[in-house]
Amino acid sequence: MKKKLLAFIVALSAVFAVMGATGHKANADEPHYTITSDATYAPFDFQDKNNQYVGIDQDLLKAIAKAAGFTVTVKPMAFNAAMQSVASSQADGVIAGTTITNERKAVYDFSDPYYKTGIAWATAKNSKIKSLSDLKGKTVALKTGTAGAEYAESIKDQYGFKITYFSDSDTVYRDVINGNSVATFADLPVLQYTIKNGTALKVQNSKEPFAAGDLGFAVKKGDNAQLLADFNKGLAIIKKNGTYDKIVNKYLSAKASTFTGSAKDNSTVWGILKTNRSAFLSGLKQTLYLTVVGIILASLWGLFLGILGVSKNTLLRSLSTTIVYIFRGMPMLVLAFFLYIGIPAVTGTKISAWTAGIMTLVLNEGAYIGAFVRGGFNSVDNGQMEAARSLGLSHSQAMRRVIIPQGLRLMVPSFINQFIITLKDTSLLSAIGILELTQTGTLIVTRNSQGFRVWAIVAMIYLIVITLLTLFSNWVEKRTKA
Amino acid sequence: MSEEKQVKVHVDKVNKSYGDNHVLRDISLDVMDNEVVVMIGPSGSGKSTFLRMLNQLEKPDSGLIEVDGYDISDPKTNINKVRENIGMVFQNFNLFNNYSVIDNITLAPVQLGKMTKAEAEKKAKELLETVGLPDKASAPVSSLSGGQKQRIAIARALAMDPDIMLFDEPTSALDPEVVGDVLDVMKHLAKMGMTMIIVTHEMGFAKQVADRVVFFESGKIQESGTPEQIFTAPKNERLQTFLSKVMQA
Repeated sequence: MKKKLLAFIVALSAVFAVMGATGHKANADEPHYTITSDATYAPFDFQDKNNQYVGIDQDLLKAIAKAAGFTVTVKPMAFNAAMQSVASSQADGVIAGTTITNERKAVYDFSDPYYKTGIAWATAKNSKIKSLSDLKGKTVALKTGTAGAEYAESIKDQYGFKITYFSDSDTVYRDVINGNSVATFADLPVLQYTIKNGTALKVQNSKEPFAAGDLGFAVKKGDNAQLLADFNKGLAIIKKNGTYDKIVNKYLSAKASTFTGSAKDNSTVWGILKTNRSAFLSGLKQTLYLTVVGIILASLWGLFLGILGVSKNTLLRSLSTTIVYIFRGMPMLVLAFFLYIGIPAVTGTKISAWTAGIMTLVLNEGAYIGAFVRGGFNSVDNGQMEAARSLGLSHSQAMRRVIIPQGLRLMVPSFINQFIITLKDTSLLSAIGILELTQTGTLIVTRNSQGFRVWAIVAMIYLIVITLLTLFSNWVEKRTKA
Repeated sequence: MSEEKQVKVHVDKVNKSYGDNHVLRDISLDVMDNEVVVMIGPSGSGKSTFLRMLNQLEKPDSGLIEVDGYDISDPKTNINKVRENIGMVFQNFNLFNNYSVIDNITLAPVQLGKMTKAEAEKKAKELLETVGLPDKASAPVSSLSGGQKQRIAIARALAMDPDIMLFDEPTSALDPEVVGDVLDVMKHLAKMGMTMIIVTHEMGFAKQVADRVVFFESGKIQESGTPEQIFTAPKNERLQTFLSKVMQA
């Protein structure tokens, strides 16, 4: 028994090690870098109608890398996660429409400025609010961690407004359009691009942006000096040869539909499904993949914790109790951020978002499973153990042949319940940039601003999958009862 | 068998407490080979606790317990080995719910390497014959009545070829009309020369089968003797009171 458990732990860690290792391959010829980026920050970073990541940042980075002779893997995620990943050495650099500020300079080294920007504020199209002083007592929606948010915070007391935060741009805009909040502060080109794409907002100060500043590419302070130098070198080259202007014009003077798809397609659920079929499918595939791998590993880990929890050894028992206590008591999102951003910041080892995501699922769901597994074993009548021991079977033989099989049967409904919860919980992993179904929905909404239809589609997909899982589980439950 | 009978169970000055409750006080008892000892007494008198000590389901606080020549109060003794020779039958049967009847019987001999699966199944079928349930081999445990379950439990204990059998109120959880079936199996075992220690409230059975009857009260053996001595000429006052109560019922 103990040997098997040990082998299982070794196998588990090997799986994680392999998954972690596949994340970053080295290129022999040119230096290769992992660059994080914002996933929802048009026109700098967004997904086009073919689900490719495009935008001023993306095209500039590609052109600069080519000119300066290095290669990159770009990992789009939420802005804050993108910045944190670099600060915690998970990635080498970040290009995410980041404004160069003194505060950020304390943590990051910035490239030469690559774009001039400033903060604009926007209201709903038909809003009566005309000046900042009209904001008194009202709520302003902001995107977490942005320069716009920072500026709004700095004038909050002066104009007497309240603030609410969201982690992606589209939700911010929706909040303003729906009237939950009255205005938002963001980078001027971002707002202008969004409005051009049909978001019903109005910029109030397009002529005189506040706190005009520059966007820069960032690396962790003191690290990756070569990458920074290469970036600056490449930027200088493409500014000189005209590539830079071409890229910026491509996005700022293009028609919205070039990137977002036709208005006709976006106005029906069917049209959205059709144009984004491959995106939804790959999002669903990733969700299912996370769910299946998560369920299997979490079940094994939970079983291990549960068996430890009914061990004869007090030390092992309290170890199990402690692990269950810690990971059951920790919000899953906190655990995900801790694994993906927290631990690497201290140890300096990189973990891929996928590995961190799976580990989050395993630790969190595994703790719940461990708790009901232990409960299941304990609820097997004590007479069963006594009868087995009285025949001369050892404790572990009695556990294996009598108690565990009976306990497992008692646990089937709990397992099914946990599987459904695991499927739903995978959506939380969108926060660390895993492109599963929920994150796919976010990206599509950023592009086409069709929040209601897209989220209805995503919700339906989840419901269908959960229904199938439930039917399958009921079938399994019936069979184990017989 | 020689005239000189072997001591199978030797208990000397055993004590056991649960907190303030002193359940067994200085119990000493020897059981000989082939002997059938029936333990009677009111509920809570300590007789079940004492029985459960004989295969270490309970541990004594002090005193010596030797079974088959092994000192089972010594922690160095491999209790699993000793238990292979002690069959136990419980009040609530405790059949393994996850196995069919025959797998209940073959589990221990096969797991412990005493027999191959085929040998164990052959033996199990013979035992099912002995307990009068030859057609129940593949039945699931949940389909059996209480009386059937208890007879299967006896067969399960016998599958290990024990030389001592412990019975802990084997008929207390049964409907009255099936008690006889179980007692018949036990009588048969006694006739075959099995060493048996039985906790029971079946006085008729005790009279009929016991070589010796032991009366427990307040954690002590108050009186012991042949069934005749105990049931027709009880000396101890508490035994007299006890008997007058149970015989009326």
